[in-house]
Amino acid sequence: MVNMRDDPMAQAVPWLKPALTRMPDRPVVMRVQGLTKWFGDVCVLDRVDFEMREGEVVGLIGPGGAGKTVFVKICCGLMDPDAGNIEILGENLLELKEKQRQRLRERIGLVFQNYALFDFMTVGDNVAFPMKQRGGSTPEEIEAKVQERLSEVDLPKVRHLMPNELSGGMKKRVGLARANINDPELIFFDDPTAGLDPVTSSKIFNLIRKTQSHRNSTCLVISHDIDRMRPACDRYILLYEARVHFAGTEAEAMAATDPIVREFFRKEEGLK
Amino acid sequence: MNPIAAIGRTFLSVSDTVGGITLTLLRILRAASRLRFDRDETWLNLYKVGVKSYPIVIMTAIFTGAIMVIQSGQYVKQTGATGLLGWGAGYAVLAEVGPVLIGLMFSGRVGANNTAELGTMKVTEQIDALRALAIDPMQHLVVPRFLAMVVMLLLLTALGDLFALVGGALTSQFILDVDWRVFFNGVFNSQLLDEYLVGLSKGVTFGASISVVSCFYGLGVSGGAAGVGRAVNNCVVTSAIGIFVWDYVITYLAN
Repeated sequence: MVNMRDDPMAQAVPWLKPALTRMPDRPVVMRVQGLTKWFGDVCVLDRVDFEMREGEVVGLIGPGGAGKTVFVKICCGLMDPDAGNIEILGENLLELKEKQRQRLRERIGLVFQNYALFDFMTVGDNVAFPMKQRGGSTPEEIEAKVQERLSEVDLPKVRHLMPNELSGGMKKRVGLARANINDPELIFFDDPTAGLDPVTSSKIFNLIRKTQSHRNSTCLVISHDIDRMRPACDRYILLYEARVHFAGTEAEAMAATDPIVREFFRKEEGLK
Repeated sequence: MNPIAAIGRTFLSVSDTVGGITLTLLRILRAASRLRFDRDETWLNLYKVGVKSYPIVIMTAIFTGAIMVIQSGQYVKQTGATGLLGWGAGYAVLAEVGPVLIGLMFSGRVGANNTAELGTMKVTEQIDALRALAIDPMQHLVVPRFLAMVVMLLLLTALGDLFALVGGALTSQFILDVDWRVFFNGVFNSQLLDEYLVGLSKGVTFGASISVVSCFYGLGVSGGAAGVGRAVNNCVVTSAIGIFVWDYVITYLAN
């Protein structure tokens, strides 16, 4: 357990304090310090500090090209930063070798922006794949869990279809089922509602909240759809010009005087 | 353009490619040595790479044998040395033309397909998805393809050699009026086992070369559909160069 008062990270980063005090008894699941990433001459992440506690659902928002996807890929160990430190589920990610990273990734789920379903496998095989590869389960157990996960995302009858036979929203939900099959402790959702209609978007965010509350997993959700992600998120991080520009709850965002924060949240409020 | 700068750029580009291919080979060998590659994927690739390729290999081989016989046929007829027909065609087909042409066909069909498949997986983030699901793409995707291509090009070369001789015999019988038994006598009496084994070793080497090159370009794709197209193009060209370079090296060593 990390106590807020003893937590040097919370002392060092003032804006984390209000957010952390809401879940002071929960252990820290992910802590990022000074994360920096350059692509050539372009800095996409500039000394980003960030922290998530167990059971939180955090919305990561920001304009396109702000570095949100890069941030998630770095946190999953799919890309290395140029500087900084990442502690995930008690492990220092950047000190791990690839094999150790693989073991850590078994505890992490990732839903990709562009689905990234394996197009040469059926939907059922896609969902079953991580569990099969992990080993230790009988085919009957795998089948039962696949059916359970597909039912959770309201797709109980698509098991034998190929990914190209599904709509965008269905693919997103299959991606969600696949990311959940091994009951990860931490799940990243990379723009899970991109290109979806409002009704399907709301469904996806409800599913995220439902999944989180069933398994007490910790979730980081990238989205531009602030209006619809509201019911799902406990707090928000705004990435702007490669840096964390704001972190806090919706109420704090609404009360903020910063014009960029106000523009982001008020625009969505206007839509409501 | 400054010619020295152009030479320097070309040199760096070639070094980059050769270095990348070598590193890919080392990574494949390291992953294969752990013997923890995906067996289902290996069987699937053996089928895709081998079983689905044999019609085109047989077709290529039959015509290769036939062409060898036609080329040497006019001299054989002029001199009446029909016994040399089997030796000439057999020597050329088993040691040289058979493995090279089968390798080129294999590279065009299987290597290009492999690059396109891996490249598409790369640009659609399926490779990242594998890694995110704690699965090593090298063990799951690359090693099975490498093993399948090496094993299957060996077997396809062996099969192709047989059909090339059949093609030669048929041409000998029906085009040159040289009895097919004379043709096969020429082949078997010439003690071409060494040439046959050299040909098979070329099959193994070409299979390894094509698989490493195609995986290197496939996994290195960037830039969407256009990037996949460029990678496939580079794969076919580099594989062909690889086939001729290895052919030269093996032929030199064998002689």
